[in-house]
Amino acid sequence: MAAGSTSTGLREHGSSILVALLSSAFGVALLQVTGVLSDVIKADELTGASGTVALMLAVVAWVFIAIAIYVGSIVTVNTFSTIVAGRARMIALMRLIGSSARQQRRAVAREGLVVGVIGTIGGAAVGTGLAVLLERVAVWVGWLPELPHDWADAGLAAPIVAVVLTTWLAAWIGSRRVLTVTPLQAIGGAQPLSHDELRARPGRNALAITLIAIGTGILVLSVLLGLVTPLAVLVGVVGGILSFTGVVLGAHLIMPPALRIVGRMLGRSPSARLAAANAVRYPERASRTTIGVVIGVTLVTMFGVTMASFRQLIQEASANEPEVYNGTEDLLMSITAVFSVLIGVSALIAAVGLVNALSLSVLQRTRELGLLRALGFSRGQLRRMILAESVQLTATAVLVGLVLGTFYGWAGAQSLLGSAKGMPGIVLPGVPWVIVAIVVVAAAVLTLVATVTPSRRATRVSPITALAVE
Amino acid sequence: MDITTSIPTSGSEPAVASLVARVENLTKSYGAHGARVDALREVTLGIRRGEFTAIMGPSGSGKSTLMHIMAGLDSPSSGRVWLGDAEIGGLGDEQLTLLRRRRIGFVFQAFNLVPTLDVEGNLLLPFELDGRTPSVPERQWIDELETVLGLDARLTHRPHELSGGQQQRVAIARALVTRPELVFADEPTGNLDSRTGREVLQVLQSATRSYGQSIAMVTHDPIAASFADRVIFLADGRVVADRARMDASEIASFMLSIEQVA
Repeated sequence: MAAGSTSTGLREHGSSILVALLSSAFGVALLQVTGVLSDVIKADELTGASGTVALMLAVVAWVFIAIAIYVGSIVTVNTFSTIVAGRARMIALMRLIGSSARQQRRAVAREGLVVGVIGTIGGAAVGTGLAVLLERVAVWVGWLPELPHDWADAGLAAPIVAVVLTTWLAAWIGSRRVLTVTPLQAIGGAQPLSHDELRARPGRNALAITLIAIGTGILVLSVLLGLVTPLAVLVGVVGGILSFTGVVLGAHLIMPPALRIVGRMLGRSPSARLAAANAVRYPERASRTTIGVVIGVTLVTMFGVTMASFRQLIQEASANEPEVYNGTEDLLMSITAVFSVLIGVSALIAAVGLVNALSLSVLQRTRELGLLRALGFSRGQLRRMILAESVQLTATAVLVGLVLGTFYGWAGAQSLLGSAKGMPGIVLPGVPWVIVAIVVVAAAVLTLVATVTPSRRATRVSPITALAVE
Repeated sequence: MDITTSIPTSGSEPAVASLVARVENLTKSYGAHGARVDALREVTLGIRRGEFTAIMGPSGSGKSTLMHIMAGLDSPSSGRVWLGDAEIGGLGDEQLTLLRRRRIGFVFQAFNLVPTLDVEGNLLLPFELDGRTPSVPERQWIDELETVLGLDARLTHRPHELSGGQQQRVAIARALVTRPELVFADEPTGNLDSRTGREVLQVLQSATRSYGQSIAMVTHDPIAASFADRVIFLADGRVVADRARMDASEIASFMLSIEQVA
């Protein structure tokens, strides 16, 4: 067991390193690209004098970087808390020998720091490489002029430091459960450690519900104001941020019921029923596993719906005066595409977390899988069970994201465009079919990818595992 | 039930109605050439139908390996294995899975209930795996087991809400619901205090006496083995004794004598 836990170290942390790498690569690449663009703008005689455009670019870049780092942190917290649950016996043994709980927790957090540093260095290299490649291609094609550029700007340290610190912090938060491991658990016969069960958290719940209520209220207000002035969208942004923060904070209130509903739709076969129960077995973990994907899908859908609604309106208008709106169509499409890709990176990070969560949970259920085999579950039934678990997680996250995104997108479009439209001033939500299709296909791929390793592992478990006593 | 039946050995492949499971010249080895370990050496024995059989032996005697092979969980290195009149030694995974699902019941040391299912869900699992609901007589049987084992008030409880003894009763009920040909019990009292352990052993004993359930129990606890109708002693991968019912002190002193020889 001792040898096992050290040799599995890298495998355990592989996904956290990947998450840190993706976050920092994204941050560095985005800053490098905006840096290049700023240089180009400064070199231009017309716009160069004002720093506003460069500042705007930086602000927009940082919004996307912050989303990516935030999603990455949630994923890492989840991964570490799962790893700690799996290591309970080892930690208990160390406690038995005389290590203090705080020492053990610090050790786990230190692993987080190492993971963060390794991932971030790799990410900085990958991100810079990507940006250089993009710049070269852009210059070669002739989109950008050939300009000298400083690829080692001091500002690049910001995302690097941010990712290292958040990974470290995430490991610290995720290792909270080390404190609850008792030395007694090292001595045989102890029940396997229960994972972080849902705790009553009146404070957090109240905050989440208040934020959702106030945010939704402000959104309704902005929709009404939107009938008068397009500036209402600024009010809407505040409402959106407040209510969505509430949703993320209250994920443990929203995701488990949603998972249960989707789980019920999977059918009544034993594989499906066990899968449905497994997906909500540790509600806290399930919420954190899915919320990252929810964030990504919501934001992508929101931009998609707003832009599609905008396009509808423009198409109506341009039918009357085609010359005025010439070219806006292409511009809108490009903006939608760029924003979707930038948010897609966060969704990708969340997907890494989802794949890893399913994989770890199967790994830690070896004994139970052996029991099911001993009782007469066929390999096919086990595979179907894991597929159903995966379907449940991704389908729920995507559905919740699509619903929220459509709502926010419509609210945005309505408050921005309500006044521009003649009476009755209701903007129908445009459905961005291409984006919805991409999201659904990506989710299907994610579902399948997430099951590959766990399925292979699960079907290899021998029923004898269930009989063995540790 | 006639417990004095001897094992008839007519011909090389005896069709023995009174045996629910048997092995012939069974050998199981682990590891390759140099570091070869023989867990079982040329074991031949039969488990009689309708009997509660204990398989005793010190650690490393091969008793667990014997059970794994007889239950179709592990494959023999050489020799033959039958469950009823079906030879199972060479069956593939799919057939062994069906065999475990329909013809064998398991009771484990660590209880091993499915944690996400409640008591009733655990009891119905063997039927659900087969994609069917229990027939009327099967449903009556389940109800009877629930009542006899005192589970009526616990049907909606999840395993972690039950005591060890209660969990083991659920596990026994689950092993019996399909009326399997043979129930394998692996140290069923290993995780229980002695009083609860005795209750569990009485449950197993009465399953044999009242319902004619064949049970093979692997244990190294003389008190547990004293509840059985027959005790088979293994040491060093061989059968060293095969006795009718013994009391705990006889078993204990016999075990001591084996250990001293070894």
